[in-house]
Amino acid sequence: MSRSHRDESPDRLYVITSGRSDGADEALDAVTLVVAESEPTPDMQSEHAAILRMCRGPMAVVEVSAHLGLPLAVTRILLTDLLDGGRITARHPRPAPSPAHPLASPDVLEKVLVALHNL
Amino acid sequence: MTTTTPRGAVSQPRPAFRWAYLPAVPLLLWGGALLAFPAARQPWPLGTAITGLVLLTVLALVVERRERTVRALRAELDELRTSTELLARDHLPRLVERLREGDSAETALHRIPLPPDAARAAVVRLIAAEIAVSERRRSAAMAACATAAGRMQALTTAMLADLRRMQERYGDGDTDSGILGDLMHLDHSTAQAGRIADSIAVLTGARSGRRWSRAIGIESILRGAMARIGAYRRVRLHNVPRQAIAGFAAEGVIHAVAELLDNAAKFSPPTSEVHVHVEEVQAGIAVMVEDSGLVMGEEALRRARESVAGDADITTISGSRLGLSVVGRIARRYDLTVSFRSSSRGGTAVVLLLPNKLVKPLPAAPAPAARPEPTAVAASPAAAPEAAAPASAPPRDTAAETGGLPQRRRGKTLAAVQQQTADSRPAKDAGPATSPRGFGAFRAAVSGQDQNGTPKDA
Repeated sequence: MSRSHRDESPDRLYVITSGRSDGADEALDAVTLVVAESEPTPDMQSEHAAILRMCRGPMAVVEVSAHLGLPLAVTRILLTDLLDGGRITARHPRPAPSPAHPLASPDVLEKVLVALHNL
Repeated sequence: MTTTTPRGAVSQPRPAFRWAYLPAVPLLLWGGALLAFPAARQPWPLGTAITGLVLLTVLALVVERRERTVRALRAELDELRTSTELLARDHLPRLVERLREGDSAETALHRIPLPPDAARAAVVRLIAAEIAVSERRRSAAMAACATAAGRMQALTTAMLADLRRMQERYGDGDTDSGILGDLMHLDHSTAQAGRIADSIAVLTGARSGRRWSRAIGIESILRGAMARIGAYRRVRLHNVPRQAIAGFAAEGVIHAVAELLDNAAKFSPPTSEVHVHVEEVQAGIAVMVEDSGLVMGEEALRRARESVAGDADITTISGSRLGLSVVGRIARRYDLTVSFRSSSRGGTAVVLLLPNKLVKPLPAAPAPAARPEPTAVAASPAAAPEAAAPASAPPRDTAAETGGLPQRRRGKTLAAVQQQTADSRPAKDAGPATSPRGFGAFRAAVSGQDQNGTPKDA
């Protein structure tokens, strides 16, 4: 592995999540859209504030995670905190039910995605 | 007589021929008697008188000789005492100083004036040899400790970086497997081990294990410190200002705060919280660590202050309370001020004052966290598999922003998605769980990290 520690931050993930590694809302998956419902307050954890600033418009969880530079699981825990506090709302994308195009079902698309990754 | 006389009185000048006074008085008496009683000029009184005179003269000579001996001995004693004092006050301290500075015994002996007396010179040589041996032993032990601590630091730093990378990898994956939790647990243990290595390094005078190339925000400093103690869940941060600490001092400040937090957590009930308040003051930034443990008595406070203020000598370190000595060392290195007082919360408060020269403005976040208009970004390529299914073939965006990764034009699928999911959250099983592993490249591209950190297909 590369040894470039210089751009790291002294923060550790377990401090950011207060020691939690799971317990995120199950409904929050990677493509859930989240929208901030309130402005950040000064005494907030900086990640929470950053999420609220970022999500003034709807944003996918995976994108939030990427912007924060944190793993998805950690982002989901942080988002769950905000969700429980009513500071954000989540909108879940619904799969398009179209009997006319059965191939477009999410299961198929996911399989295609996995297959493409395995290439 | 000699023992009680002050030293100065011994060396006063004495008349050279005082012994002559002793026979002179009877001689005068005798002469006077001869003049007064000429009739008494008979041989026997004359003989008696001469004999007496001779005896007296001899006696006087003996007395004088003894006096001289006493005087010589006294002077010798005096000289001996002076040179012993010189030895104790001057020669030996200079010798020890030279040896402590790293001179060898021979060099040190050459550089100081040796006592002329062979016996004392031998004593000095013996002492020099012994001190040189013990100094070598001490410095060898310190060097060994410092090297070991440095290696431990390097190892833990590398381990922490690897663990972070693994957490990134598995944190994107299946969250139910518990791998992330296990990695966090390992991370925590490693961070604590690293702190111990850091403490040894600080105490043995080794250079700090790692440098931060940029200023570190106060929040990260405090959380980095929390990360290195066992009971970090009990620490509460309050009103952290948006300032940063210069990179060269960041590691030291993190370590000092970690030691203070550890003390506060150790000496307070395991259910109580440790509060950290940060305040911008005239002189810099004050970090107050407050626990609700036992109030430290005057004596304990004094001892704590002494530990912090203890000079840079390793002999002042007590075996069981390394933390405060470490804080003291770091404080001296970076001009931090540490003060203790009783807390209004019922415990002890420690205030660590970070001087203005260490405080820097908070650097901009490296990740593009503050995008100007994040209103239409929901339709990421990540959302494509399920969200964008009904959308028409989307044109490709210019790849400038995402670092070369093709990106779907924004807004299109968002509109579709928003139309469909207009209001409330659907049930949990509304859609299949998307495999987050597929988003590694996306995340890497957005956050701008190198491909080493991204998950690869194993």
